Amino acid sequence: MRKIFVGIIHFYQKWISPSFAPRCKYYPSCSSYAATAIENYGIKGVAMAAWRLLRCNPWSHGGVDYVVIKEKVGAN
Amino acid sequence: MDAILNPLYFAVSWVIITIHDLLSPIFSEDSGVSWSLSIIGLVIIIRIILIPLFVKQIKSQRALTALQPHMKEIQKKYKDDRQKQSEEMMKLYKEHKTNPLASCFPILAQAPIFFALFTVLNGIGRNPPVKRGVLTQEDVVSAAQAKFFGAPISDTFLGSDVTTVKIVTVFLIAFMSATTFTTQRQLMVKGMPKMDSSNNMMLQQQKIMLYLFPVIFAVSGVNFPIGVLIYWSTTNLWTWGQQYYVIKRNPTPGSPAYEELERKRKQKNGDIQSPDTGSNETVQEPEIKGQRKQPKKKKKK
Repeated sequence: MRKIFVGIIHFYQKWISPSFAPRCKYYPSCSSYAATAIENYGIKGVAMAAWRLLRCNPWSHGGVDYVVIKEKVGAN
Repeated sequence: MDAILNPLYFAVSWVIITIHDLLSPIFSEDSGVSWSLSIIGLVIIIRIILIPLFVKQIKSQRALTALQPHMKEIQKKYKDDRQKQSEEMMKLYKEHKTNPLASCFPILAQAPIFFALFTVLNGIGRNPPVKRGVLTQEDVVSAAQAKFFGAPISDTFLGSDVTTVKIVTVFLIAFMSATTFTTQRQLMVKGMPKMDSSNNMMLQQQKIMLYLFPVIFAVSGVNFPIGVLIYWSTTNLWTWGQQYYVIKRNPTPGSPAYEELERKRKQKNGDIQSPDTGSNETVQEPEIKGQRKQPKKKKKK
């Protein structure tokens, strides 16, 4: 299940998002944040990703925001 | 779920019916023109509401000129580490409380409306028609017969045997693909500060857009009622126009469109300085490889 989600995100990153101008206010971008979150937290990761998408709005100033991972720091 | 969606159906159908009632005296009540224009009106209203966000974004892009020295410094310092570079860049934006990137909000905000319109129109297309939101039985019956260039606005490509519906759908899908393509191309060729990264990337992006987007539009478009395709086409057209206006009148510093505007202004002022505004163009930032994620680099002038 996690793999399917992450697969979809990778597909998006590879094929769809390159054709738009960069737009994410955060680093890493919402899509890679989502991939990391889902890989590590499963369904809770989906909620984290959704919350991140909501935080990435016109009134935020963005910034650096990694997924907090229990022990090892996430591969990127 | 309905608790969330009902207000949306209500809002969307209210806007449509209000515009429709305003237009009815001109084009007659059952005319496809009034119904089609109602959908187009819905787009216009939504996009007008979103304009302040757009302006805000443009302003923060302009504010970047002031951060130029910092950005150059970061690029120099971390020229071999793209990740670190992006990270530092984001930190810089945050520190100065400005962020030139648009976020996904303007797109996501339209999604629920899009979905609501889809459902409302789908209801109209049922036999017998299902009314949603504020639509009355009469409205629904009238809308079910409304035609856009001969195709009922509630029909879908897959749900209809009528040739006109198929032709109109194909035409609209082609139109959507074309507008998406020209919008992105316009931005990349004229609107963005010249990127130091390869032209390869741009070529590849254009290829993706050229082939992939028509496929995406076609796969989804055949399932959507004509009315939804009208919405989609109009919003694409709006995006293009809005961008065209900004690139012409208020281009991003450092972009080709900006240089062109500067040159024109100089000519107007009778300034006979060398027309070589691009002289500092040669000062290129270190090359950055990889995909698209690098923050926009602005050059002065």
